[in-house]
Amino acid sequence: MSLRFKHIAPYLFASSSNWSKTLSYIGLGFGILLLLCSLQLYFNIQQLLGKENPRKSGFDYISITKNVTNETMGQVEKNLFGETEIQEIAKQPYIDGVSPLIANRFQVELTAGNIIPFSTSLFMESVDNDFLDTLPPNFSWVEGQQFLPLIVSSDFLQMYNVFAPGYGLPQVSESTASSIRIFIVCTGINGKQQTFRGSIVAFSDRINSIVVPKNFLVWGNRTFANSEEVKAARVYVKLKDANNPEFLRFLDQHQYRINKDKIQFGRAKGVLQLVITGLGVFGLLVVLLALMLFSFYLQLIIARSRDNLKLLITLGYAPSWLTKTVAGRWTPAYITIVLIALFLTAILQWGFYSLTSSLNTKVNPFIHWSVILLAILLMILTALSNYKLVKKQVYSL
Amino acid sequence: MNIKFSNLHPIYFSEDRSVHSNIWGQEVTIQPGEKIQIVAPSGSGKTSLIHFMYGLRREYNGSIVYNGKDVKQLSPDQIAQYRQENLSIMFQDLRLFPDQTVFQNIEVKRQLKPFHPPEEISSFAERLGVSHKLNMLCCTCSYGEQQRVAIVRCLMQPFDFLLLDEPFSNLDENNRKKAMELILEEAKLRNAGILLADLKEIEFFPADKVFHL
Repeated sequence: MSLRFKHIAPYLFASSSNWSKTLSYIGLGFGILLLLCSLQLYFNIQQLLGKENPRKSGFDYISITKNVTNETMGQVEKNLFGETEIQEIAKQPYIDGVSPLIANRFQVELTAGNIIPFSTSLFMESVDNDFLDTLPPNFSWVEGQQFLPLIVSSDFLQMYNVFAPGYGLPQVSESTASSIRIFIVCTGINGKQQTFRGSIVAFSDRINSIVVPKNFLVWGNRTFANSEEVKAARVYVKLKDANNPEFLRFLDQHQYRINKDKIQFGRAKGVLQLVITGLGVFGLLVVLLALMLFSFYLQLIIARSRDNLKLLITLGYAPSWLTKTVAGRWTPAYITIVLIALFLTAILQWGFYSLTSSLNTKVNPFIHWSVILLAILLMILTALSNYKLVKKQVYSL
Repeated sequence: MNIKFSNLHPIYFSEDRSVHSNIWGQEVTIQPGEKIQIVAPSGSGKTSLIHFMYGLRREYNGSIVYNGKDVKQLSPDQIAQYRQENLSIMFQDLRLFPDQTVFQNIEVKRQLKPFHPPEEISSFAERLGVSHKLNMLCCTCSYGEQQRVAIVRCLMQPFDFLLLDEPFSNLDENNRKKAMELILEEAKLRNAGILLADLKEIEFFPADKVFHL
């Protein structure tokens, strides 16, 4: 016959009151629920606010410009990014890559030949290929090459299709636009002029510009504008999280501008994370208080049963067995409390999912695995802390 | 199992107590199956000796060794192991749970390392005349009845040595003999030794050796 708690139960609980036990159970359950909910909310916030930008290989790509103010108007140098500023941006630990968007410093005119009677002055920019969301194999240029590939923002095509009917121009699809042969006339301040044959090789959802291969623009600026200097009006940065609070602080400090839509979540996220952290810390405190209350309850039981426990040891009951058995008595209670808290967290998460699903968000209806892991850890922590307490008490008899 | 005393001496006794003692300050080995009677007047250390042997107290110089292991070196769990399997005791002050029934007081020992089935509790209680008290709280029993309960309790486990500290002090002649008979039967069943401490020699205890403290 193996001995269990029931065999010594009559010797333990004589005249012990239950109010502190009940209170500590409630406290423990409440604290654990708060902790689990905080962690789950943290993951919900990450899911809700962490995927607002077009991402490539898990990175966010953001374009930064300088704030043109009344004071800096007309002073081109102040509104452009120099080498030093670009290097300073690149140095920031949360930034994984920087590429200046180099613009043309010469005049560019685009004509569509005879198919569409359309002609416009144009601007061009270039960026490192790594920053492009679509990179067709023919997007390259070498000196002497007549064909110039272009990547155009898909927004531009949409805008063209909006105003084209009003001007009696035909609307075009992406594939048609790609097949149109266009002519790009470059004219320099030095009077030099050269015409290139070109076509749109891809549309970009990320870069809001007309992009040409970088070496073309370096060559063009040198040839038509006699300029070697790297001065960019826009800088593209690549980073893990565009909503990183440190990144947002850096932008504010330097008065750099980015698309507010891309960071408004970041600011809300910062505040929310603070609230959730506060909630988590409060939950942890409640758990600690509940554990303390429970330890008082255990000490009370052991103090009241001191003579009986001492006699049990005198009769041959091993202190290690008594410790394990007495402390283990409450293990089912801990497991139940944690499971109830976990179950309530799951219900709340489902509720959160139902509430936010109408907002077309991608919140997971189920709790995150880390929440389950935390619940298991709390269960072990509770059982371990009480085991240590009982051991100390029993061995001191 | 054998028990060896080496130069054993309670720290609260003066050195001259060893001069006329067969135990204090001597080298003594108790062999398996031996029946030893310790005879000594009050205050000479009978209870101390039994408590030292049982590992309850450590206020002594010298050593007590179980099978080559010094009792003072044993962990609480190792001592518990000896108390479950090798040493049984009947305390002079009985040490029963007053708020539990007689049956529970005996069962709490039996269940730890059962040597007898639970039915033997009734049988032993019957032999010692306390079966009518089995379901009553211990605190309602007379001291003589409680002494018999303590005797039954110490016979419920396996043991190599049975330590008895003035076991019959509150029993009449008839009950003493009945109790002694039961104790000797049970010791024989286990090939166990008995160490009985009392104020004077008990004529119906067939001691192999008599030691004076």
